[in-house]
Amino acid sequence: MEQICAALEPQFPCREIAITTLGELIGDCEEAYPPVIYVFGHSGTGKTTLINSFLKQCQKQQKVRIAQLNAIECYTTKIMIENVLDSLAVQQSPADNMLEFVEQLRCLHTAETHGFLIAIDNAERLRDMDANVLPVLMRLQQITSLNVCVLLLSQLPFEKYYNKTGLSEIITLHLGQYNKAETLRILSTDFDQVRQQLLQQQSQEQQQQQRLDICEAAMTPDFYNNYLNLFLSVFYKACRDVPELRLTARKCFGIYMEPVLDGSVECTDVSRLWRHIAGPLRAALTQIYMRIEKPLLGETVMEDQSVRKLAQSLELPYYGKYLLIAAFLASHNSAKQDKRLFVKHHGKQRKRMQTVNARAKNAEKMSTTLGPKSFSIDRLLAIFYAILDEKVGLTCNLLSQISTLVHLKLLSFVSGEQNIMDGSAKLQCTVGLEFVLYIGKVVGFNVRQYLCDFM
Amino acid sequence: MDPTISVSKGCFVYKNGATRANPNKKTPTKRKRSVQAGSEVTSSLLGKELTSQPLYAAYTECWHQMHNHIVELQSESNSRTLEELEEFVTGAGEGSRQEDILPTAALLTGINQPDHLKQFESLTQHLNAKQAARVAVLQSRDCATLKAAVESMVYNLMEAQPSADDANEDEETEDDRDRKRLRRSQCTMKQLHLWYDNNYRGEGVKHQVLLVILPDFECFSASVLQDFILILSAQCDRLPFVLVLGVATAMTAVHSTLPYHVSSKIKLRVFQTQPAPTGLNELLDKVLLSPKYAFHLSGKAFKFLTHIFLYYDFSIQGFIQGFKYCLMEHYFAGNAFALCTSYTKALGRIQQLTHDDVETIRRLPSFRPYVEQINDCKRIIAVLTDDDYLKKKLPQLLRDCLLHFMLFRSSLEFFTELVGDLPRCPLGKLRRELYVNCLNKPIAQQAEYKECWQMLSFMSKDEFIAKVSRAIACTDQFLSEQIVPLELGDACAAEMRAELQTLKKLLNDVELATMETHAVTIESTCSSTDARPLADLTQVASRQQLKEQLLQRSKHDKQQSLSEYSRALHKVLDHIETHLVLAHLRPLQNAPPLHELYVFSDIATVRRNIIGAPRAALHTALNNPHFYMQCKCCELQDQSQLVSTMPDLSVVYKLHLECGRMINLFDWMQAFRSVLRAGDERDEQESNQEQLDPQVQARFTRAVAELQFLGYIKMSKRKTDHATRLTW
Repeated sequence: MEQICAALEPQFPCREIAITTLGELIGDCEEAYPPVIYVFGHSGTGKTTLINSFLKQCQKQQKVRIAQLNAIECYTTKIMIENVLDSLAVQQSPADNMLEFVEQLRCLHTAETHGFLIAIDNAERLRDMDANVLPVLMRLQQITSLNVCVLLLSQLPFEKYYNKTGLSEIITLHLGQYNKAETLRILSTDFDQVRQQLLQQQSQEQQQQQRLDICEAAMTPDFYNNYLNLFLSVFYKACRDVPELRLTARKCFGIYMEPVLDGSVECTDVSRLWRHIAGPLRAALTQIYMRIEKPLLGETVMEDQSVRKLAQSLELPYYGKYLLIAAFLASHNSAKQDKRLFVKHHGKQRKRMQTVNARAKNAEKMSTTLGPKSFSIDRLLAIFYAILDEKVGLTCNLLSQISTLVHLKLLSFVSGEQNIMDGSAKLQCTVGLEFVLYIGKVVGFNVRQYLCDFM
Repeated sequence: MDPTISVSKGCFVYKNGATRANPNKKTPTKRKRSVQAGSEVTSSLLGKELTSQPLYAAYTECWHQMHNHIVELQSESNSRTLEELEEFVTGAGEGSRQEDILPTAALLTGINQPDHLKQFESLTQHLNAKQAARVAVLQSRDCATLKAAVESMVYNLMEAQPSADDANEDEETEDDRDRKRLRRSQCTMKQLHLWYDNNYRGEGVKHQVLLVILPDFECFSASVLQDFILILSAQCDRLPFVLVLGVATAMTAVHSTLPYHVSSKIKLRVFQTQPAPTGLNELLDKVLLSPKYAFHLSGKAFKFLTHIFLYYDFSIQGFIQGFKYCLMEHYFAGNAFALCTSYTKALGRIQQLTHDDVETIRRLPSFRPYVEQINDCKRIIAVLTDDDYLKKKLPQLLRDCLLHFMLFRSSLEFFTELVGDLPRCPLGKLRRELYVNCLNKPIAQQAEYKECWQMLSFMSKDEFIAKVSRAIACTDQFLSEQIVPLELGDACAAEMRAELQTLKKLLNDVELATMETHAVTIESTCSSTDARPLADLTQVASRQQLKEQLLQRSKHDKQQSLSEYSRALHKVLDHIETHLVLAHLRPLQNAPPLHELYVFSDIATVRRNIIGAPRAALHTALNNPHFYMQCKCCELQDQSQLVSTMPDLSVVYKLHLECGRMINLFDWMQAFRSVLRAGDERDEQESNQEQLDPQVQARFTRAVAELQFLGYIKMSKRKTDHATRLTW
């Protein structure tokens, strides 16, 4: 057990306590394992990596067989059973259901293996699988009478697993989020790798010995820690996912180093370096998790992706645009107002005290801000014909435009997708006002004029 | 026992044993393919009697040329993106991989999703040919659940055969049968691992990327997609997956579908393909408007096809198919249209024309003016009656026609350069718009044209000279690149060049006639403005008169104020107008005789056949069954007339048109009955006025059921014995 912990601790700084606990629980295969251990914590706290390396160490140092699987991949029970058996059993015969699975496991009693460890990632998915899966896994030790331990890894607390039939007590192990100092410590373990990479990169370029020299001189742990401090001051509020931070830190470090390599800024001049890096860091902050592979300079352009830009980049056929506008109008006006809006001689609306009062009351409840309401295809077409100046035949091409818009997720079916034929299918427009205003501008149509809210 | 003898009715499928037994005889699909390759001129669909006609030969030849040109053009314009993508895919396979991170390419394709399948197919073929990757194209319809998605992916990856070797397809099919025993349920990631280890992990075997393409990203359900990506990224360290997403809208669609925990598992690179309208313009400019082909679309037909594209669907494939339909329609009008080909070939075909074909030619609308302008009586009779005489005349006529189109095209080139970038583009800025404008109406009479001319005359000298010389250079280049290599091209080029030469000379005059005269211009304009208030306008009777007078005066002023420069400029413009625009950019009705042989303009047929209008068709069928049935009994004088001989469904339909939203079934049936009765004899109906004939009731019920089946009505749940109309 000590060996395992000793091997793991340098790999996982700030997780000493968790490793010790794990070691005490399943560190020794001669002792009886607990039936289940539930490991939970936010993403990026090292659950999966920690458990995986722990199990690998166990396998290496003791007579233990291990199985590691991801519950997402096991979209049927059979696949999960196969995966587990694959890794645990030496020779394999097919197992179709839980019963056969347990039977097979029972046959595994041998002298040379003392323990079995099964780790299941994304364990929350087990809840949605067949009803017997989770209970069986939790009592696997009892049922198979093997020295087996199931490790369930998840982001949720175990309370979320309780169901009607109830579950047995369980040992939980929580991996808390790293605080800032810990994050800094973890990220700084990267230093050697980053340095290696940088030196390699510089030596590949070859043309400037000078740069290489500067690079060698400047890359000290202190310098890197300084950088990480700056980096975390920007990022720590937004993201605590260590792998994500690590990636972004590496990506931005190149930019940070650039002025130093050029010789324009001394590597000790932190404030000037900060001024230099602040912009790119902020740009990178908006890009975090998205992983768009582009040079960092281009990202600022990518990022002001306003609605206007989006509408520009989306090319729709002419009638498609009108259909979208019609859909928006149908979604954001009530059907009662249609006559008033779209028919030329709709008569005068009598102003009654009641309506004025009502309107004053719902002044803040603008239907454009309340979100889209559903409409039928007939109404959509009627509005389409009302707002279009020219006469268009109701052809296949036009009708297929509606389904194209649905495919593009600009419209969506609310109900009755099955019975479009009898006219009860309801659609909804999913784009926003600004987008439609822009499209209206492109085709020369004033959308506001036809919205009740702006009348 | 005969396998078709059965207790129940049924439809029986026979495998075509004959074709299988004889390997030399090709299956229909193969034959079609070989037709496309241009090696064989038989078609499985059309009979021998048609395919042996000269019109068919002319059609296939023309279509093949154009089709190959189109394909070439498209692959050229797509090649850059595809190359980048290929590089990305192969690069991702070789480069160092970060753990758990899936290299992903997002291809922004534009909104017509079916079109883009083709692009992905060609990418697949490329990669297969290079042996660089195994490709699985997953469509959203195959991936309703995660299970289905993974299974079809694994199946496609393991089973995808490089389709390059079509030649020995027949021999292979037997082997394929055996190997394709792989069951769907066996297709799991585990199988994929085993398969990959067996095939590609060994020594000396080329490392292959596993490419997964999702051509219609938007159609996938979000949860399936998320899980799918998570699975792929989890397997990423053991299997070299690369994901390609075909995104139809914009990158925000990707970001809104994939939450952080998924998007942090992929490394996204964005690729942009050519937008569809650009692709279409390229296609039009390079293929449809190319002088290489004898076939032309009339302005209206051209506009119609581009209209469908721009207003409805943005589908280039659809456009090409529509164009092909026009081509077919054109050639299949008769053997005379086989003359629509290159000049020498047409000469050869003239001799094959039968009497009927010559008659078709005589019946062409533009033949009449031709006959009328002949002033020799004998020759008129000869042209109209003697086939051989006409055949002798034909080459000259055809030559004129072909030459006209070439000159038209060259002038269009000049004209486009001249007016295409004027402010506000009155005539349109693209070649296709100008083409339509010129062909449809006499362009010189249009207001937009006059506006253009005015703008040109207001231009500063440098600008004007630069513009015209640019136009000349452009046309010159066009002549030498596109026209000269063609037959009759030299004649056309010679004529055009002569025009351009005179134009250059005139332009020279403009250049020389300059500054000193410019001052005069200003002076004269000044003097004229001074003079104007002096003239008295008092004795005008009406507004009309005043207007006329003012007009006259301004004209007068203009003539006075004409400087040497502006005179020279006008000379140039006049020359352009008379020698290029009026002479060559003639509308279709002024084109030389027999132009119908080369120009397709029967737009009504095309519209009827390529644009489906289901509701209109249904309405006609139900409202006026005679239109389709052509029976004698129910000819209608008036659309709203009700005749008892019409089918029941039709009667019921017409009655329901008269009702409001809710229809009372009993009233409806009474009306139905009275319509039927109107046809029967009077006395009989009076006798059983009270009773309802069960037969009538049954007929009515059936007709209503049919109407419901067609989706016109729905039985109301709120009100008993009422039906709701669903159409308006």
